[in-house]
Amino acid sequence: MTAENVNIQQDNFEPKIVGFLCNWCSYAGADKAGLAQTPYPPNVRVVRFMCSGRMDPQFVLQAYEKGADGVLILACHFGDCHYKEGNFRATQRHRMLLHLLKQEGIEAERCRFDYVSAGENDKFVQVVTEMTETIRKLGPLHRQFIPKPNGDSLHDQAT
Amino acid sequence: MKIGVYFCKCGTNIAEKIDPERVEKEVLSLPHVAYCKSCEYLCSEEGKTFLEQDLKDEKPDRVVISACSPRDYERTFRECVAAAQINPYLMQMVNVREQVAWVTADPEQAAQKTVHHIRGAARRVSLHAPLEEKEMEVSPNVLVVGAGPAGLKAALALAESGRKVILVEKTPVVGGLPVRYEDLFPNLECGPCMLEPVEAEVFQSKHIEILTLSQVAEVVGYCGNFTVKIRQAPRFVDIGKCIGCNECVGPCPVSTPDEVNCGLNQRKAMAFAIKGGLPNAPSIDMQACLRAKGEDCTLCRTACPVEGTVNFDDQERILERNVGAIILAVGSSLYDCTVFPNLAYGKGGEVYTSLEFERLLSASGPIGGKLVTRAGTPPRSVAILHCVGSLDEHHKPYCSGVCCQYAFKFNQLVHHKLPEAKVFHFYRELVTPGKEECGLLARAMAHPHAQFIRYGNLADLKVQSGDGTNHIRYPEGGAERDLDADMVVLCPAIVPSEDSKQLAAIVEAGLDKFGFFDELHGRADSGQSKIRGIFLAGTCQSPKDIQGSMNQGMAAAGYVLSQLATGKKLKIEPITAQVREEACSGCQVCRGVCPYKAIGFDLDHQVSVVNPLLCHGCGNCVAACPSGAMEGNHFTMAQISAEIEGVLQ
Repeated sequence: MTAENVNIQQDNFEPKIVGFLCNWCSYAGADKAGLAQTPYPPNVRVVRFMCSGRMDPQFVLQAYEKGADGVLILACHFGDCHYKEGNFRATQRHRMLLHLLKQEGIEAERCRFDYVSAGENDKFVQVVTEMTETIRKLGPLHRQFIPKPNGDSLHDQAT
Repeated sequence: MKIGVYFCKCGTNIAEKIDPERVEKEVLSLPHVAYCKSCEYLCSEEGKTFLEQDLKDEKPDRVVISACSPRDYERTFRECVAAAQINPYLMQMVNVREQVAWVTADPEQAAQKTVHHIRGAARRVSLHAPLEEKEMEVSPNVLVVGAGPAGLKAALALAESGRKVILVEKTPVVGGLPVRYEDLFPNLECGPCMLEPVEAEVFQSKHIEILTLSQVAEVVGYCGNFTVKIRQAPRFVDIGKCIGCNECVGPCPVSTPDEVNCGLNQRKAMAFAIKGGLPNAPSIDMQACLRAKGEDCTLCRTACPVEGTVNFDDQERILERNVGAIILAVGSSLYDCTVFPNLAYGKGGEVYTSLEFERLLSASGPIGGKLVTRAGTPPRSVAILHCVGSLDEHHKPYCSGVCCQYAFKFNQLVHHKLPEAKVFHFYRELVTPGKEECGLLARAMAHPHAQFIRYGNLADLKVQSGDGTNHIRYPEGGAERDLDADMVVLCPAIVPSEDSKQLAAIVEAGLDKFGFFDELHGRADSGQSKIRGIFLAGTCQSPKDIQGSMNQGMAAAGYVLSQLATGKKLKIEPITAQVREEACSGCQVCRGVCPYKAIGFDLDHQVSVVNPLLCHGCGNCVAACPSGAMEGNHFTMAQISAEIEGVLQ
């Protein structure tokens, strides 16, 4: 952690984390955590995909650009993917992303990839809690480091 | 744009933690949000009536429903929205109950998180496009490939419901492998007695077109509308005219190995594949027939009492059929035992595969079921080697599931025929699942002439074949031991049949790492391939017994009847991938990542084309497309980006 980070870090810093969850396993695991009614930190804002394989690295970069201090990508365990192999592709993309983030000086801990099945409500709570604590310790993300996502194509399609 | 937000209190489940008025105040300040209304229970009948009526009155352009998990209620609310004449895909749900109210300790933080998510949903939904569920006419006909237990059962079930079935079988007769078994485990039930009535029913059905000596040559189209080309080899005997009298077989001067008996005896070139097989008509093996060698032999035709039945000019035919669904039931094979040099198989000695042994035990087999060695003497001892290739990381790591059971059946049958014969079971593991299957194991274990010897590694067993018996060396308790067995029976692993690979290429259904057909889901949907409209039954999907095969045949028929119901059009889900042709570079990366073979390639325009019927909407191709040309309906780049921005604001 840099000295700057420590300065910026306030006692009341609430990390903003975007959670990309696949519909069939991890989102269902999050729902089950709801049924269990175990409180966990409210810092993860969930965006649902049908499959973790839909996870375009641009979404992660965009999340950092728009204010996220961390990104959590949750997928099915290997062999459990509803679409068979989407989670394999998601792990590959995550590994590639980490290289890119390293070049830009963004800590690998700010982009966590994990596996949560539809039955692992406790694991979901654990991962969210750990991630929130990790980002709280790291402090807010310095936005000047963020590589621009491919802005052109994003805006083209947004209009 | 007018966005309407509905906030479900879910009784106290949500409202106890999150103050609806607090949320409403903030939500109303969001761009385009015209109103925010709360309701006690939005999913109740009153709630749904209120929602529908209010949507009709307010006529919003977009709808956000803040309630519970979309996994449970998205469908319900889509129906409500549609009932109010608003396209159901112009609605977005926010999961406040499961993912905020129930799991956030602090009410203020819960309220804030709710607003973040409603903001995300409102931004996202403003970019939603109306999507239409399309419908397509389907052919009710079904192609069943393979006429073993699984295929026969599937064909019968479909025919009974009035469907036309085209049943394609490679060999001259139906029935599959079990027609060669005289007795079946677990109860030594008579095989032909079980199977022949099923075969007869299939032949009597007006709805089943049976094509023997036939193979699938080409499949084009997709679920609901496949056009199938079937190549039928000439039989040289007119099934319609043949009376099954057997007169033609005797005069045939040619002898050739009988493959039904695994080549253990000879048959004629004009022959019935198996006694009692259906169709009850012989066929000419033209590779063996003298006519193929240029001789003008007509002995079989001369002997035939029905004129025009034997036709030497019979030709290969290509038949074309239109079907809505395809059931693959091509069965399996046995692992090649010649890969084990230590087991002395295939060297002309007294070492047999289990299938060969089935034929030796059968009254219709090469030795009339009397069980004698090649020298003609009854064996004094039989050694049965279990797990030959199964449960073996150097060969097939899986358990083939049926071998133990037929091995104990052999134990019983050998003792029926030769009460004093010794039976040695060399086994790695003993597996007999099921409620009836323990019986044969118990009998074998209790038999005074049966001996069980456990081995750790098949490579440690050495079979030496010669002088009318076999010497088996094996390690036991640190010492090398040996024993003599007049016959050795190998229980080879069940492996995919050689046709599976070829057929998989034709129908584009995938194979798993072992070469079996890959199912949609191992537990929930093992009767369905990953390709919509193509179903799996029997051992081509995984090793299984006759019961399992018949059940899966029935299951495959059930899939067809429920997914392609008569009189119903096939619904095409609108949440699929779509190619923006102007941006597509034709690199075809998308085709490689699609697990469902849903993406074709338009050669004329050099662009990928998504078949919405086959697409499952996972979005893998969308994320993989390097040109941004692939778009996922309802999960577009712009929609997801808007949601990310919204939740972070």
